[in-house]
Amino acid sequence: MIATAAASALIPVGAIRCAAQNPNQPRSLTPAQRRTTEMLVDRIIPADELGPGALECGAANFIDFQLADYLAPEKDAWLAGLNALDVFAMERQGATFADLAADKRDAVLLALTDNGAPANLQTFFNIARAYTMQGTFGDPHYGGNIGGKGWDIIRYPGARLATSADMQSMDKAAEPVRRSAWGNE
Amino acid sequence: MAIHLKPVDVAVVGLGAAGGVAVLPLCRAGLKVAGIEAGAWMDPHKDFKPDEIHNNIRRMVTTGDKIKREAPTIRHSPTGPARRGAPSPMMNAVGGSSIHYQAQSWRLKPWDFKTVTEVTRRYGKSYIPQGSTVEDWPIGYDDLEPYYDITEREVGVSGKAGNIKGTIDKEGNIFEGPRQREYPMPHLRSCDYLDHMKKAAREMGWNPFHGPAAINSVPYDGRGACAYHGYCQAGGCHLQAKNSTCFSTIPKAQRTKNLTIFDRAQVTRIVANANGKVTGVSYIAGGKEYFQPAKAVLVGSYTYESVRLLLLSKSKAYPNGLGNNKGQVGRHYFGHWQSGTSALFPMDLNIWYGAYQAQAMMIDEWADDEFDHTGLGFIGGASLGVYTETHPIAAASGSTWGQVPLNWGSQWKRWIHENAGRTARAYVQANSFPYETTFLDLDPAVKDPLGDPVIRVTTMNRENERRALMYAQGKMVEWFKAAGATMATNPDFDPDGPALSTHAYGGTRMGDNPETSVVDKWGFSHEAPNLGMLGGSVFGTSGARNPTLTIQALAWRTAEHLAKNWKSITA
Repeated sequence: MIATAAASALIPVGAIRCAAQNPNQPRSLTPAQRRTTEMLVDRIIPADELGPGALECGAANFIDFQLADYLAPEKDAWLAGLNALDVFAMERQGATFADLAADKRDAVLLALTDNGAPANLQTFFNIARAYTMQGTFGDPHYGGNIGGKGWDIIRYPGARLATSADMQSMDKAAEPVRRSAWGNE
Repeated sequence: MAIHLKPVDVAVVGLGAAGGVAVLPLCRAGLKVAGIEAGAWMDPHKDFKPDEIHNNIRRMVTTGDKIKREAPTIRHSPTGPARRGAPSPMMNAVGGSSIHYQAQSWRLKPWDFKTVTEVTRRYGKSYIPQGSTVEDWPIGYDDLEPYYDITEREVGVSGKAGNIKGTIDKEGNIFEGPRQREYPMPHLRSCDYLDHMKKAAREMGWNPFHGPAAINSVPYDGRGACAYHGYCQAGGCHLQAKNSTCFSTIPKAQRTKNLTIFDRAQVTRIVANANGKVTGVSYIAGGKEYFQPAKAVLVGSYTYESVRLLLLSKSKAYPNGLGNNKGQVGRHYFGHWQSGTSALFPMDLNIWYGAYQAQAMMIDEWADDEFDHTGLGFIGGASLGVYTETHPIAAASGSTWGQVPLNWGSQWKRWIHENAGRTARAYVQANSFPYETTFLDLDPAVKDPLGDPVIRVTTMNRENERRALMYAQGKMVEWFKAAGATMATNPDFDPDGPALSTHAYGGTRMGDNPETSVVDKWGFSHEAPNLGMLGGSVFGTSGARNPTLTIQALAWRTAEHLAKNWKSITA
């Protein structure tokens, strides 16, 4: 009944391969919708002296793919949100969101997270932020976090199938791995 | 017309943490068992991934299809309207919620079984919380100890004993009830952060210890050891090192050839004859109706499902639901009070990997009755635990402690770059009790797609537990601060308490008195002699810790009682 000495069936870390984008992945957004989405995620996590932001990490790609997949039931709400964002940007800054410079886009986002902004836009911003987080810090399997670049932003050492005791040391972080858990990309 | 199947000795409804254990002693006793499970088999290689979107965002391993269809409604008034809540975070699958659970495998304390007697003896009757329907359990810790011992070995639990037959070991929990022997496996691996917290606790004069977990710390029972990859929470174990019943007790029962598993089969009624004995269960699978005749039925589904199934199973002998002629089914329900206190440290903790709350440093000084409650205004307390495993989306999305004005943009990005790996969370679980105003019944308005009413949860007014949790949480904050945390949260709680709970207790309470309980001290209905109840629904108190090992020890004991008294129970 008690412990038998079966060998531990560890799957080698090498079995989880790097994610590569599938060119045939169905997409959901028109070029204009995609561009607005890109300009939005770009301000939520901007590229700066610390390195790439959400756009470079593939968060817009994640949204484009997932709205044609698991998040398809949310697609209409997303498109309505993009439209409302453009109307609001036009009102406040005189141009559609994607046509504004970075600092003006920041001003629009600041205004819409204020208490005075329409409730539906605040909801949209919260959803956009949640998708951006998933598309930047989630597994590369879903089309975002390309090459695991998002994990560098928060210094996450990457998803592994097994970790040794020294990988939980407080003095020294584990060597980063930048692979998908799915291994079939 | 339902398809009538070949009769079996025992039909077990639900093959999760409880039913998945009960089948083993039944099958070993030579009884023919039908295990009927609403969910399917999951594949460790396909379904269990170190992927936060899969496990935690989309909850692919925590929310079964059946429970989605029959998600309970909730209200905080005994007469007001109820609204549909989120689906209970439980699983329909072979293995059930033991697939994704955190695997902490605690024994309750002697005090938990005799709370009324002990509180009255030490403080007087006035200390029993007002409005509470708490009773002593009809059994004590000593009655259950042999079954804790069996299940720790048959399921597989790692830990460090603190009390073996009265001999105290400070490396374990010095407050635990006496055990007959050491755990079958040593405690799970420690790490720098847990060692750091252990040192701080010892300097405060507390007794920290590694919590017990149904996860292999070494190869055990033909399966490998934990690899600490850090995707234990809400996920299944790709290594089968977490001892979910689909990897531990169910395969052992299958090897006896006495277990037939019907998966993707949803039990809709338990059938009783005019004499009040149960004769089998009706279920739906693949759109067809079946009747499985059985000489005895053990119900091992989740608390909400089990109570609902009894209330739906009306017959001539049981016009208000099976075993409910005294109106006790659904009473004495309560959710488990828990807090998620967190802290910010000025250094990297490197707790990305680990085994969630199973790789934990625990404190029991502020739980149960381990401290003097005179004048405090509550009974009970909470266990405190710090643990590992941090997922990247959650870490990046967490609180910035008011240190940056926005939760987006460059300034925020720099903050999470520095601090995402410096936040730790605690697990504070309070002793919780049943109340008159906290119960389950059938919702009069909301139905599932089969047209059957869903469960309605009523929960309110539990000031005792709010105070106990606040008190213990304050101790947790002290511990974090002593360990160097610069910030720690200390939120207040709604006195109505948790409605839906991953630890859902009561509803078919165990007791000697049929006027205040549903099952006897062996887990069998006071009214239908060949109907046994398994799971948290039989608990009369929660303890300040996770219920699963107690559920499993009780399930083993109920099943063994059935096998040993087969003729008298099924006569």
